[in-house]
Amino acid sequence: MSIQEYNGGSVVAMVGKDCVAIACDLRLGNQATGIAMNFEKVFPVNDTLYYGLPGLATDVYTLREQLRFRVNMYRMKEEREITPETFTHLLSSTLYEKRFGPYFLEPVIAGIAPPTAANPNPQPYVSTLDSIGCITTPKDFAVAGTATDKLYGAAEGLWEPDLEPEDLFETISQTLLNAVDRDALSGWGAIVHVITKDKVITRTLRSRMD
Amino acid sequence: MSNINFVDIQHLKKGEVNLGTSIMAVKFDKGVVIGADSRTTTGSYIANRVTDKLTHIHDRIYCCRSGSAADTQAVADIVHYHAQTYTAVYGENPPVNTVAALFEKLCYENKDNLSAGIIVGGWDKEKGGSVYNIPLGGGMFEQPWAIGGSGSTYVYGYCDATYREGWGEEETVNFVKNTLALAMARDGSSGGCIRMCVITEDKVERHFVPGNELPRFWEGKEVVGGHSAQPTAVSA
Amino acid sequence: MAATGVAPNNIGFDFSNYARNEFLGARLGAQAKTTSTGTTIVGLKYGGGDSGDEEGICLGADTRATGGPIVADKNCEKIHYLTPHIRCCGAGTAADTEYVTNLISSNLELHSLSQGRQVRVVTAMTMLKQYLYRYQGHVGAYLVVGGVDSTGPQLFTVHAHGSTDKLPYVTMGSGSLAAMAVFESAYKEHLTKAEAIALVARAIRAGVFNDLGSGSNVDVSVITKAGTETLRNYETPNERGIKSRDYKFRRGTTAWLKENVRDLVVSEEVKVTMGAGKAQQGTTDRPVAVGAGPGGEEGMDLDA
Repeated sequence: MSIQEYNGGSVVAMVGKDCVAIACDLRLGNQATGIAMNFEKVFPVNDTLYYGLPGLATDVYTLREQLRFRVNMYRMKEEREITPETFTHLLSSTLYEKRFGPYFLEPVIAGIAPPTAANPNPQPYVSTLDSIGCITTPKDFAVAGTATDKLYGAAEGLWEPDLEPEDLFETISQTLLNAVDRDALSGWGAIVHVITKDKVITRTLRSRMD
Repeated sequence: MSNINFVDIQHLKKGEVNLGTSIMAVKFDKGVVIGADSRTTTGSYIANRVTDKLTHIHDRIYCCRSGSAADTQAVADIVHYHAQTYTAVYGENPPVNTVAALFEKLCYENKDNLSAGIIVGGWDKEKGGSVYNIPLGGGMFEQPWAIGGSGSTYVYGYCDATYREGWGEEETVNFVKNTLALAMARDGSSGGCIRMCVITEDKVERHFVPGNELPRFWEGKEVVGGHSAQPTAVSA
Repeated sequence: MAATGVAPNNIGFDFSNYARNEFLGARLGAQAKTTSTGTTIVGLKYGGGDSGDEEGICLGADTRATGGPIVADKNCEKIHYLTPHIRCCGAGTAADTEYVTNLISSNLELHSLSQGRQVRVVTAMTMLKQYLYRYQGHVGAYLVVGGVDSTGPQLFTVHAHGSTDKLPYVTMGSGSLAAMAVFESAYKEHLTKAEAIALVARAIRAGVFNDLGSGSNVDVSVITKAGTETLRNYETPNERGIKSRDYKFRRGTTAWLKENVRDLVVSEEVKVTMGAGKAQQGTTDRPVAVGAGPGGEEGMDLDA
């Protein structure tokens, strides 16, 4: 049992047509013992940018608060919202600073940048980082957490390009639900956020509770 | 560890690049001849088969490096820097003794973190040619000849039996060449080709012996091709 | 010390979690797994002699990143920018290769600005080796540095512990043995540019198909005095086949318990009124209840 698997939990994000989705399970465990079924691992940064932190629960809180501070500082200094790309790099350098004493987290980021004069038509964006801040920016989907292996398998088979928000919801939900059902350390409920340019749909899924 | 020239491979950090090495330096009437094999290994993989372990420190001073490639390069770079500074300050070449003392200081004071066995050879106007051996944990020993690296253990007897005082350049070059060839043949961590360097007041002359032109000795009756190679070794 | 890391003088690594992680690691076993670039990276010198081509450096890399047995990225970039005329292939810990090349690239830019000329490849190599030596191999970057400067084409390898080698053809990473086998059998001095690119691509392909840590595509970079030519995905010998059918779920497949839709479009009704204080047609005067108007909750309702 590694530290990353101590509390369990998984996150997945997917790109759709002018939309992105990010989802997580709700379990918090103490190794094999389930502790809570309301432990959300996905947090908003702003209206159209969310990120998930699967891994060691104590680090979830520490990093979430540190990011909240850093994003607020960015917002005040720059007088604008942070873009998903910039946020990814902010998170990366935050993690790499602790290269020799890392947080046991594998963040996943999903969002759409607000349109600007320089970039009037921003594209949906997902990315993942390893625990010391190495960025990967896939064109399709990103997964992390104790169900990583299963999520990769499910997502690789189910994902397809240009899914509309409602179809993306079905695909990401089924990917997460089916992967998590085969992971002893993830599950106990799930929550999905589908982000489009003009709305965010958040749904709590009905799932197995064993 | 009974032999100070033996580089403890366990001591190297995992995956570290190692100069398994056979190195040598010999004094003669006009200066010094230094020599080394050309093999660099990472575990059992030869990372570089034409390595130059004869490292320039100053106009007439070179060193032979054995042990960790990273450590010896770092130390040699630092000493090279100080040697340049010496010339900038005093307007003349540093004595070999001074440069060797610098190596010794670095190797001794950082002995816990270094695996570096270094032989310094060079010419200066005070002493002519001179050879300094700086083994693993530090210490500085002036010697008429010095051998080092993992391959050296195989050829101490040969050197003891062969070396004579008062050799000229050609005899000395042959001695170095034969010694290294013998060491490389026995030591799996040494091999490739032989690089040598003759340092005198007038010149720094490099010699290169490719792997297929190394001196050969008795190799048994069943050598490839059916004919027993004629030993090329010089009789001492 | 709070580890918010905003103080500008608080640079470098933060070891504050190190003791905790050692304790946790001792109790729970395995440490954090990091993305590594299993990798085949290569470089060679070409041109000059009677090749008829200008002297240059050709670098190559595969595009697979791994995290343990999982392929973490199927098309990552391992040829990093250092300066306009120096590139660096990275193997080892992915985050380290990324950050070490970024840092040195930044310092090289400052160096060239302060010296008023293009930096040499040895300068880049020396800065990399001195940085890596300081961390005694704990910063796990294994690099192939290549470029063209005032002294001609230059090619080096830099190991994580800080040792360097200077050779006419080099390979690194887990696929280095496969790639080196190709180079040892086919490398010649004074290759033409086309031959060099073909040989580099063949060496990378040897890694892609024979080393489990390497895979996907072939990236190539060609550096001459004139500049750098980046051939991203020069070969793509592992394209995924197009699926003939799909697994699209019918809408409503997933049962959900709770929904919240946050509308990001702020709509407000604007009514045009004219004149000051006079009731206009189509508007009605409404008395504002105390504490219920805009800002009322905050106690800012002054119309009480």
